[in-house]
Amino acid sequence: MWEIAVELTIDQRWDLVDRIAKETIEVGAYEPTLRDTLADVTVKPLTGIPFAIAVIYGFWMFFSGFAGFFTDGFFVKIFDVHFLPWIQSVFPGKGTWLYFIFVGDPSAETCFESFGVLTSGLFLPIGVVLPAIVAFYLVFAFLEDVGYLPRLAVLVDGVLHKIGLHGYAIIPTILSLGCNVPGVTACRPLESRKQRFMMITLLGVFIPCAAQIGMMEGLIPHLIGWVFLTLAIGYFAVGFILNKVWPGESPEILMDVPPYQKPTWRNIGRKMGTRTSHFLMEAVPFFLLGCLIVAVMYLTGAMDWLGNALAPALTGVFGVPEETVAPLVAGFLRKDLAIGLLGGIELTTWQMFTSVVLLCIYFPCLATFALMLKEEKWKEFLATMLVLVVTVFVFGGLLNLIGIGLGIA
Amino acid sequence: MGNRSTFGSVYFAIFGFMVLALGIVELVVVSTGGMEGASWGPLEMGGMLLWWRAIILVFAGLIYLSSVNNFLDVRQLGKSVIASIMIWIVAGMEIWARIAGSIPGGPEEGTPWFNPEFLATYGPPYMPEIYLLPLSLVILYFVGRRKKQGRLS
Repeated sequence: MWEIAVELTIDQRWDLVDRIAKETIEVGAYEPTLRDTLADVTVKPLTGIPFAIAVIYGFWMFFSGFAGFFTDGFFVKIFDVHFLPWIQSVFPGKGTWLYFIFVGDPSAETCFESFGVLTSGLFLPIGVVLPAIVAFYLVFAFLEDVGYLPRLAVLVDGVLHKIGLHGYAIIPTILSLGCNVPGVTACRPLESRKQRFMMITLLGVFIPCAAQIGMMEGLIPHLIGWVFLTLAIGYFAVGFILNKVWPGESPEILMDVPPYQKPTWRNIGRKMGTRTSHFLMEAVPFFLLGCLIVAVMYLTGAMDWLGNALAPALTGVFGVPEETVAPLVAGFLRKDLAIGLLGGIELTTWQMFTSVVLLCIYFPCLATFALMLKEEKWKEFLATMLVLVVTVFVFGGLLNLIGIGLGIA
Repeated sequence: MGNRSTFGSVYFAIFGFMVLALGIVELVVVSTGGMEGASWGPLEMGGMLLWWRAIILVFAGLIYLSSVNNFLDVRQLGKSVIASIMIWIVAGMEIWARIAGSIPGGPEEGTPWFNPEFLATYGPPYMPEIYLLPLSLVILYFVGRRKKQGRLS
């Protein structure tokens, strides 16, 4: 029996499991409970999809309300009205390079514009990213504890099959909406190398993390739906193409769907606390380093040089001004920092939209990049980078053309 | 007791129509007035995600309507519960947005940390979902009724 199993393909193995189960398990008549019925109703497309829409709406509303309450309600005031004028007045050596690096532009009125290590470098991770991360992980842990996430996976299984993935792919995708690092790690249970490569590539290119979403919420709340729509189109289009061109198989996977249960608040608190602290420990140093590099590049003139060098691509292909080169540089370290830095640049609505989309897809943050190197083989990694470059130019060029066509670029 | 409840069927048929009608009105408002929405006395329809709320209400209304036959059958009751949870989510988030928006005093210099007139922000007009919330809670009576009779766990 063992020898036979070894020779079977993965799909044949699942067929065998199915046959054995049919022959050995007998299900008698029983009256389903309300809990059983709810479990059933939430995976049936006719009722499950509307319910999923409501859950995602609730997720988003809680997220934006929570982040808005802390960021706009308190942190903006703390940092812009109290902290920034204070540090601008007490930090010694106004006009020196040290002042520029740590405090940033002395005439800046908000921490978004100042670009200093102690101003933008602290405001962005604490004032903007922290509330967004806490809100995201709170809801995520709740849905996880209740048992809804596996049902969402079953629900989207059919759609994701069209691009060679399975319903399980929704778990790394949602995890990546919090942070790409655990999202990429969650690709390990996928059965084939092809699926892992596709999933990691799609996550690295098209899924913005909660920190980025928090920044977008502060910067372009009215355009965020369009950004998500653009990224979703890219996710499915590139997934579809990769499924056709990348060799390998996409076997079925078996997923445990546990019954619904009452959430344990202690569990939720612990999960949220662990994930948030892990995220902050990883993100804050990159924020500070990112601001430092951007400030040094401004001081040394490297930013102007890079801006001039990239100007043809930025203005010609993408239709955004060369000043966006600073956020692009910062984006190599943290994409959320990069989006935050866009707030300090004068852009039209369309340019802002294009820049945010480009920043989302042009490069994974450094931590995700390092993890991709670890999780993928060289060939796959290079292919991911190639997909990334092609996507940036295709998307950036297309958005510019659409903007020109509509007369709003 | 069978799986029929005239009161439950009639109540959720009427309620389902109401939810569906309000969802359709919201869809009309969002497609004609955009985000700015509209307001009639104590009722208002507007906001960034109005189209999303409208779709949820339309679906919730349809799910209620599909559950009215053999209303106490656990499969049918389950549908009504799901539709009610959808309304609770939308209404709950509306209440949450009001609470979160009412407490801070404002980001500008010179404004107080906390809004001294925060209670005033809880007055009408309200979104339709807020009015639907108490009416949807009737489902708890039916869940409790079946639970008492030991037919659900």
